[in-house]
Amino acid sequence: MIEALYDVSPAWPVIIAGLLAAAFPMHYVRKGLALIAPVLAVFLWFNAPSGDHLGGIIELGGFTLETFRFDGLSRIWGLIFIIAAFINALYGLHEKDRLADASGLIYAGAGLGAVFAGDLLSLFFFWELTAISSVFLIWGARNNAAYKAGLRYLAIHVLSGVLLLTGAVIRASETGSWAFDETLSIETLGGFLIFIAFGIKCAFPFLHNWLQDAYPKATITGAVVLSAFTTKLAVYALARGYAGTEQLIWIGAVMTAFPVFFAVVENDLRKVLSYSLNNQLGFMVVGIGVGTELAINGAAAHAFVHIIYKALLFMSMGAVLLRVGTVKASELGGLFKSMPATTIFCLIGAASISAFPLFSGFVAKALTLAAVAQEGHWVVWLVLVFASAGVLEHSGIKIPYFAFFSHDRGHRVREAPVNMLMAMGIASLICIYVGINYGVLYELVPFPEAALHYEPYTFDHIVGQMQLLLGAMFAFAFLVRMKWYPDEKRGVNLDTDWVYRRFLANTLNWGHAMFGRLWASITNLVSGVRSRTGGKLFEVFSPIGALSRDIPSGLLAIWTSALLAIVLLIAYLSP
Amino acid sequence: MSDPNGKHDELIHPAARPFLWLDAPWLKSSMIWIFLVATLGLVAVDFFHHRHEYVELAEFYGFYAMWGFGAFVLAVMIGWWVIRGLLGREEDYWDGDSTDEEGQS
Repeated sequence: MIEALYDVSPAWPVIIAGLLAAAFPMHYVRKGLALIAPVLAVFLWFNAPSGDHLGGIIELGGFTLETFRFDGLSRIWGLIFIIAAFINALYGLHEKDRLADASGLIYAGAGLGAVFAGDLLSLFFFWELTAISSVFLIWGARNNAAYKAGLRYLAIHVLSGVLLLTGAVIRASETGSWAFDETLSIETLGGFLIFIAFGIKCAFPFLHNWLQDAYPKATITGAVVLSAFTTKLAVYALARGYAGTEQLIWIGAVMTAFPVFFAVVENDLRKVLSYSLNNQLGFMVVGIGVGTELAINGAAAHAFVHIIYKALLFMSMGAVLLRVGTVKASELGGLFKSMPATTIFCLIGAASISAFPLFSGFVAKALTLAAVAQEGHWVVWLVLVFASAGVLEHSGIKIPYFAFFSHDRGHRVREAPVNMLMAMGIASLICIYVGINYGVLYELVPFPEAALHYEPYTFDHIVGQMQLLLGAMFAFAFLVRMKWYPDEKRGVNLDTDWVYRRFLANTLNWGHAMFGRLWASITNLVSGVRSRTGGKLFEVFSPIGALSRDIPSGLLAIWTSALLAIVLLIAYLSP
Repeated sequence: MSDPNGKHDELIHPAARPFLWLDAPWLKSSMIWIFLVATLGLVAVDFFHHRHEYVELAEFYGFYAMWGFGAFVLAVMIGWWVIRGLLGREEDYWDGDSTDEEGQS
């Protein structure tokens, strides 16, 4: 243990590596930085003192910033973020894009910084840094759709940051506290604004569509990197500040269910994964809402394994996109003949997310489901079991089936590059290792004692889970046989993004056009009044106007006499 | 691109050759029976072993198999009829250009 490093958050080496990567034109130096930075970060993670630790305190402008809070909750999130940063660096080793290298590292570092932040101001700084750095992973695709999606993504995430800061300021003015802890409450205005800020990043229902809009349009590596940090940071923030908030139970339940319906008919397989990501976040949010030790363990364990298997699935689709040039299900099929290793890795990711026994999802999801059932939320439990079958549909079957099996479209492409295969291989190993040796995961969760009392591999649990999965797989085979399974066809499905991409945009355009017309009418009216008034004045006062006209002297004499008579009359009659 | 059905397709990855049976029509047509038998086998376990569950409803014979089947069918039908039926649009709906919908590096 090196005490001098107790104050150094694992975020800093990653952020500094990102800043250096921005300066280095040699790509092998940047790749070296991307691989070394997570190693340094994990060293700092292991070097942190056991037990709760608060370090890295910076006094700035009268504020105290706490940059390294290391406790049960930040420990597991910090470790998985570091592992994800390393796997992502390995996956993107073949790319020669300075902007992507730098932004990917700064983004991962900012995510780590936010996880280890001990106060709301530090959290805000890193929160905004994740938004600003990550948008370059979308823009990196360098096409018009990605550019527009990136702008929308940035606007929504900056709004989240603004709400976070506003909420924090209001709360500080009321309580004098900038603490980022369990004292946050949705009962107060400040706490509510912070809750919404977290909810935007966590893709709550109706606030979710930035995810499905932006992630599928990111670069191949960018989508993998994005899938790891932003939303899981929000889950962490909710677990830190709002554990036990009952509203989260129903918010989470809705999150698990509605993306299933969209994913069924989505043709873009990276968009399917984005909906699937939304569905998985729902399980974590429910766990946080339940708020018991077992439930928080479930959310943390789920976040840990989810980051790996979701990245694995995004990596496999990225490999397909790299080699085939598309991830549209309607254009794919039969790729297992060309990309057998990628197929196996994708199947491992699919088995993990579907929670097959011996894979990581099985041991993690079980904690949340058990906690929900133990607390008597049986309706929510039924929704979660429904969503589990939904997960199998879109991520367990649809992704591997339509990409690698189904109708052979005749694509004969090369297998993914070696670095991609290595990254997918490591992720696959983790999925299987954690699924079998689940004690490692249960020791990492915030309340290890509660987790170690839970036994996932009971006969009842295995039989029940296999019944669910095989019942759903039989349904798939049945629907396909009866030709009741929808064909994969090109198209898009409207979601809540229609509100701001079409309705609000059209309303603004209409308002702009109407304002233009109104302004033109006002301008015409004013110029008309002005010209008419000017004309009248001209008619009266100009050299040829009425006042300059010759008036007959006789008429003038009559008027003068009349006025004189009136004046004399008044003078005579007045007392 | 090459012959999609050609078993002697030289462009097929050597590691994939032993698994070409995965693409065989007999396997595709028999999947329904394989899954049906497996599901019924697991449901049969419930008749010999009483599962203990936190939620009483789940202790019913074959509950998970029925819930899994029903959930899958419901998800597909709502997705097909409601989402695609009501919310489905042409691919160029947003920007009038579908070619750049996919991000690439």
